[in-house]
Amino acid sequence: MEALQVEIESLKSPHLAVHTVFFGGGTPSLLPPSAVAQILETIARCFHLLPDAEITLEANPGTVTLESLRALRAAGVNRLSLGMQSAQAEELHLLEREHSFLDVIHAVEWARRAGFTLLNLDLIYGLPSQSLERWQSNLEWALRLQPEHLSLYALSIEHGTPFSRWVGRGLMPAPDDDLAAAMLEWSAERLEQAGYAQYEISNWARDLPPSPPLESPRYACRHNLQYWLMQPYLGFGAGAHGYAGGYRYANVLRIRTYIERLRAARQRPFPLSPAAVHIHRQTLEDEMEEFMMLGLRLTRQGVSLETFHQRFGREAREIYGKSISRLCQDGLLEILEEEKRLRLTRRGRLLGNRVFREFLL
Amino acid sequence: MSRHIRNFCIIAHVDHGKSTLADRLLQMTGTISEREMVEQVLDSMELEREKGVTIKASAVRMEYTASDGQRYELNLIDTPGHVDFGYEVSRALAACEGAILVVDATQGIEAQTLANLYQAIEADLEIIPVINKIDLPSARPDEVAEDISSLLGTPKEQILRISAKEGTNVEAVLEAIVQRIPPPRGDPEAPLRALIFDSHYDAYKGVVAYVRVKEGRILPGDTLRMMSTQAEWKPVEIGIFAPDMRPVAQLEAGEVGYIATGLKTVRDCRVGDTITSAARPAAEPLPGYRHPKPMVFAGIYPVDAEDYPDLRDALEKLQLNDASLVFEPETSQALGFGFRAGFLGLFHMEIVQERLEREYNLDVLFTAPSVEYEVLLRDGRTLRVDSPAELPDEAQIVEIREPWMLIEIITPTEFYGAIMDLVTKRRGIFKGQEYPSPHRVQLKFEIPLSEILVDFFDELKSRTRGYASLDYQFLEYRPDELQKLEILVNGEPVDALAAIVHRKDAYHKGQALISKLKDLIPRQLFDVAIQAAAGGRIISRANVKALRKDVLAKCYGGDVTRKKKLLEKQKRGKRRLKMVGNVEIPQEAFMAVLRLEE
Repeated sequence: MEALQVEIESLKSPHLAVHTVFFGGGTPSLLPPSAVAQILETIARCFHLLPDAEITLEANPGTVTLESLRALRAAGVNRLSLGMQSAQAEELHLLEREHSFLDVIHAVEWARRAGFTLLNLDLIYGLPSQSLERWQSNLEWALRLQPEHLSLYALSIEHGTPFSRWVGRGLMPAPDDDLAAAMLEWSAERLEQAGYAQYEISNWARDLPPSPPLESPRYACRHNLQYWLMQPYLGFGAGAHGYAGGYRYANVLRIRTYIERLRAARQRPFPLSPAAVHIHRQTLEDEMEEFMMLGLRLTRQGVSLETFHQRFGREAREIYGKSISRLCQDGLLEILEEEKRLRLTRRGRLLGNRVFREFLL
Repeated sequence: MSRHIRNFCIIAHVDHGKSTLADRLLQMTGTISEREMVEQVLDSMELEREKGVTIKASAVRMEYTASDGQRYELNLIDTPGHVDFGYEVSRALAACEGAILVVDATQGIEAQTLANLYQAIEADLEIIPVINKIDLPSARPDEVAEDISSLLGTPKEQILRISAKEGTNVEAVLEAIVQRIPPPRGDPEAPLRALIFDSHYDAYKGVVAYVRVKEGRILPGDTLRMMSTQAEWKPVEIGIFAPDMRPVAQLEAGEVGYIATGLKTVRDCRVGDTITSAARPAAEPLPGYRHPKPMVFAGIYPVDAEDYPDLRDALEKLQLNDASLVFEPETSQALGFGFRAGFLGLFHMEIVQERLEREYNLDVLFTAPSVEYEVLLRDGRTLRVDSPAELPDEAQIVEIREPWMLIEIITPTEFYGAIMDLVTKRRGIFKGQEYPSPHRVQLKFEIPLSEILVDFFDELKSRTRGYASLDYQFLEYRPDELQKLEILVNGEPVDALAAIVHRKDAYHKGQALISKLKDLIPRQLFDVAIQAAAGGRIISRANVKALRKDVLAKCYGGDVTRKKKLLEKQKRGKRRLKMVGNVEIPQEAFMAVLRLEE
């Protein structure tokens, strides 16, 4: 905590307007609410924290109580993201989650009582042996809790994880991508019907009353939009990532080293804190590639080619003309508003990697 | 002078210790010092060292003071160690009066050694048999000596037993060379006749011909003439290998050395040709000159079409040093612009492939190797076809003839059945057997070359735990019931996947190929139908379903760099795919036709 405060102080810029704060990665709900309050106070002291800022905290159901949620709300947290994952005990067990679905129901109810009007639920689909029906029932349960926001993630088996070892040894069936595709397609339809708008590959937000067709919905996560729109953000804490001042950087992962580095506290130019270890100076190419690959994740607003031009002084067509034409021909991309906007098609949403990689230079 | 010259070579199977013995001889004669001793000096190419075989011959002069107190000039002529280079071996042997036969004390005589040995005996060389690796615990020198003795008639006690690695008894080898190999004959005053037994290309001196002067002498100022082409030129330099190139004032009858010809390609200076002097030409060339013909053909394509000019340059450079490599431009509907290349054999092809990849850093795609077929057409013409895609329509064909080979396999008797099975499955015909020693059998078969192109050596090795050895030579063209097996991807025939197969194998091979391709062709944005067709019928089909989902679920602030790397990796993987029409096909698919049995 002390080191974290030191790190925030080290980048103090009272005129820098901050419109979102996100407590995430790991389980921030394990922090006592007083600590969260203290961090927010430090942020408010060091930056110009806007009065209507979106302040999110990721929480595991089962780690919160009515009291803790009240205290968090009082500290200024106004958006809660709950890692529900599944409504089935067996699946939660497989994912090594400590909570039950009952904990989720409680957490949602307490959050409402504590005054949270922005709630997100994270769900995972495409689990080994998960049937379409199972997944459908998970999503139905989640909908009954009436969250403002839903994140649906396909399970991806990453190299080096226990899952990948089990699959490799034949102890678990490999996830079926076709089935996962069917789940996602069904979910998109179901959520639309329930009044949610998909605005990113894995994200939906309640959209009543409907927002304009080429804008992300009102309840979209403003913080995450910051990433996808290639706007700057500062990362604080061990292992945190940041993107600002032409750098992408990451802090040292080990907590002990993190603390040591902040004790030594040598000053570096903004935005690099003493804990930053992986520091990458962005090239123009990096910027253009990432602008496209991140922006195209926004399934509703897509990428603004005008913004591209303003930002890089060149037309996206000049650089990516061939790829754009081919991807449009393949039915993965669409051009909207007379060449001003580029967006994934419905089919393209499921085949995003095929599109994104074409924008790497 | 020539009384004190000994010209010899070493005949040995791969790994039986030829290079080690050569190194030892060079060391003991002081030709190279310990310090200069790079292991296996004779194999100068990195590739050869790794493969444990000698590809290009070379020649080294050593000076040796024998036990009789006299100084001798010993010329060691290295011979290529692989079955594809039989002709080169015969020319190297023709440059010698004697040969050291090295046999591994743990392995015994192998087929290819035997083939070379017969050639040496036919060339009238004095054979000095040597049993190597007697230091190994598994050595059985008595048994091997027995075999050699019954083969050559050499009394067992005269067979030297050495360990080239440890240096044991190597001195005795040097003495045997001096005492048993006759000095060269040949009149230094006769018109010049020098045999080219190898060559290499040097950027400064042009083609360097390795020669054995049979008669007459060469002086640096002479105008020389190639007897096969009548081309005349003045040498840039003459000299000997000691072991580096060292100029000398003359080379005369009996000597071995080099002539830097200044010629631009090794094709103008072919192995086996005779060099004479323009001023006083010999009446007849030396016997045995032949122009070895390529037996195996394959398409070579750059993976990235932009590399085409680089590939052409690389092939041209390889050809500078390799007169047997032939190639011409070829265009494939599937693979774009490339070359059709001809090789002496499969091993030769493998060497070319590795050199293109390693020395020239090119990503190349070799199509499945093919033999050259003779196709008799209804209009009476005979067509030579070395690419299955070019086989004319069946209605026009009277018959297809393919090259047959005579193969000899030497193996411990216990593998007799396994080999019979392997060969007969591949249309081989048993022709006879001999027992060179009680536990070894030499089997002779006739077999179509196309049947041994793919996997045959590997299969032979695995069925005999590495004990069998093989030699082969061309026999004749024979007709058989052959037909084209075509692969269609989304209805379009893919020329690079076509094969010519025996009628009775078409169905089975077509099915096997389709099921392989189904696994190898990645899912695309649309369904891909793959079909095998032969004799105008579809014999097998499969469908590669369209890809539905390929997207990273999460990409937040901390994921950007990692996810971008992942996409970059995907993109690189894509470069290794070939676009055939609008279908992406990986390189492995083009090789799948080779690996149907797995």
